[in-house]
Amino acid sequence: MKAFLKYIGFIVLVTALLATLISISSLRALRNASFYKPSFLANQVSETNFDYIVLGSSVGLTSLNTNRIDSILGTKGLNLSMDDTGMSTHYLMLEHFLKEGKSTRYCILAPGLASLENKKAGFSNNDYRFLMYVQRDYVYDYYKNNPEANNATNVLFLSKWVPFLGVGYYNTELFFPSLNAAIHPEQRNRFDARGNYGYPKKGDSLDGKEEIHTAISFQHPYLDKIETLCKNNNIRLIYYLSPIYKQTLSYEKPNFPLIDHTQFFKEAGNFYDRIHVNSEGREKVSLQFAEEFKKIKKENQLD
Amino acid sequence: MIFNSLSFLVFLPTVFMLYWFVFHKSLQNRNILLLLASYVFYGWWDYRFLSLIFASTLVDYFVALALPKAETQKRRRLLLFVSLAFNLGLLALFKYYNFFIESWVEAWSLLGIHMQVSTLYIILPVGISFYTFQTLSYTIDVYRQKLEPTSRFIEFAAYVAFFPQLVAGPIERASHLLPQFRVLHQFDYQLAKSGLSLIVWGLFKKMVVADNCSYFVNEIFSAPYGFSLSELWLGAILFGFQIYGDFSGYSDIAIGVARLFGFRLMTNFKFPYFSRDIAEFWRRWHISLSTWFRDYLYIPLGGSRGNKWQQVRNTFIVFLVSGFWHGANWTFIIWGGIHACLFLPLLLLNKNRRYVGNQQLTFHNFFPVVFTFAMVTLAWVFFRADSLAIAIRYVGHMFYNSNYDLSFFMKSPKIILLGTIVAFATVMMLAFEFWAYRKQRVEVRLSTPAKIAVVLLIVFMGVYKNPSTFIYFQF
Repeated sequence: MKAFLKYIGFIVLVTALLATLISISSLRALRNASFYKPSFLANQVSETNFDYIVLGSSVGLTSLNTNRIDSILGTKGLNLSMDDTGMSTHYLMLEHFLKEGKSTRYCILAPGLASLENKKAGFSNNDYRFLMYVQRDYVYDYYKNNPEANNATNVLFLSKWVPFLGVGYYNTELFFPSLNAAIHPEQRNRFDARGNYGYPKKGDSLDGKEEIHTAISFQHPYLDKIETLCKNNNIRLIYYLSPIYKQTLSYEKPNFPLIDHTQFFKEAGNFYDRIHVNSEGREKVSLQFAEEFKKIKKENQLD
Repeated sequence: MIFNSLSFLVFLPTVFMLYWFVFHKSLQNRNILLLLASYVFYGWWDYRFLSLIFASTLVDYFVALALPKAETQKRRRLLLFVSLAFNLGLLALFKYYNFFIESWVEAWSLLGIHMQVSTLYIILPVGISFYTFQTLSYTIDVYRQKLEPTSRFIEFAAYVAFFPQLVAGPIERASHLLPQFRVLHQFDYQLAKSGLSLIVWGLFKKMVVADNCSYFVNEIFSAPYGFSLSELWLGAILFGFQIYGDFSGYSDIAIGVARLFGFRLMTNFKFPYFSRDIAEFWRRWHISLSTWFRDYLYIPLGGSRGNKWQQVRNTFIVFLVSGFWHGANWTFIIWGGIHACLFLPLLLLNKNRRYVGNQQLTFHNFFPVVFTFAMVTLAWVFFRADSLAIAIRYVGHMFYNSNYDLSFFMKSPKIILLGTIVAFATVMMLAFEFWAYRKQRVEVRLSTPAKIAVVLLIVFMGVYKNPSTFIYFQF
């Protein structure tokens, strides 16, 4: 029995050691690369001062092209939106942006409708993309104190001490990309040098889709945190609602500027699917956004 | 509780330590520990259904005790009937009630008579088909006077509920497993080490092979009509590997866990995908069920005695019942029927036993192995499809479809990555098993470095987010 326990102990120890080494190397490779937005921000974005950043989910990522907006307004913008994320991730991204020693005058918050319908404080599917920074307090705290504690949050915060928990749990999202990141550290995960990504022209068929009405509200625990963080860092917050096919919204006006493009397009031709614009729609909506953003900036007398 | 869960990771070492360090002196105490552990293991899923196992145990315990005392054959038959009626009655109620009702209504509707009969919302108790068959084998063996009934209730209850194989087998015979509860096992280092090897290998097959295959299988089988010929074939082949990895993985873990406690369970799979014909496939696939049906159904029906017509009839009955055992759906019955049809030519030509005891694969066996695998794969479509209509159309599209592309498997970098993992894991599984097969073994043995490497593969290639439960739990 003693020999067997020793044998098991040996296997567990060696396996844990090797798994830890592999995971540390994996996270290190991702931290030194630009594959995901958090490390892209740290490694490939050399500027520190921005006129605006876009924080949001896939709708923010695919609607607002900062290259186009900057070419019109002569501004310097950065799109930090990530697909499949919610309000909590936007807060974490803003915090990460500031901790990286960067600043911005405006923060364009472009969340998905789900964040405004669903009042759960939230944990998003792509929050693992910050795991390479789990040693930093704000990332660790985000995982540890997330109000939606579940297997994933537990695995993520415990990765501070046992890194193979997170790297193993998210193996297709972290371990395998890290192999590529080690060889091509400059490669980005489907976004350009300013963080933008656009859907192609053709996507889902929208034939027969019916008008949908949704009641939303600008109240969310993480929205309050974002507001506070912006206020403390002299950042003006602007809310942005992206175009959605055949969607009407009802809401009480928020106490900060809002650009509502929900019904900007009537034609299905501008959409990739019901909630994302395609390349043509993105071009048009970015131009319109630039116009309205210019007005807001003037009103704020910051220019 | 499932084997690839955190709770089991705590449960197993706890029971192991208690078994070898706290209850090592008394056989009775050890059996009590195993019984309680088994009930905790099962109750973790739904404690209410423990009552079914307990009731089944009680009935068979008392029936078996009464059998030797019965003075007349009539009374013995009555006692056996009580056990069969109770156990099969529970199975019929929980597993087949709605199927019979719906089939009855559909049959009448074909004659233009529309009936309104309500079905029941019934949860299928996990593993009911397995433990029912296990406990039935005990009563039948006692009835046949092949086995002495046990008077020790705890021993018998622990045999019925033994947690490593309670919910998905191997379906153990009382004559093999029950005597092992009468021995105060001494720790056997080599046995435990081989058990550990099987646990690691079983987890690899389940978490890396089966669970990674499940993404593709679920997508393709959920809406098969949109897929090309090549994708449908790949979907069926991947299901073949998924169900093998899932079920044989479970059996490996079960056998391995039992060995940690000094118990030896029967081999349930002997590398079935290297079979050269369907008869050999059934001697290598789910052996504990095949032999159960052989001993308790095929042989009582007459087996291979009698004329060819009787043999054919008996074979069809066994395959159809075996299909029905898997689930209350016509798809399973047809699956059993297909296997019977594939078995039939071998039976008629007296070639169904030509590979018995022959585990020497040669180059000439390559085509028979591929052909057998292809036939088994086609039959799997019926096993996996949600309905008969879907299965028929699926198989039709596997042959009549002008689209050959593999775009689904190239849809995104993540899908390509997943496909690469599946390909690597499947080839690795087959390579290890082929190696063991060539060495005339019935299981894969892993050296210490291989164990460590396989555990690392489980960590970095296993499925942890939304893992599928074991497929055979539903049976």
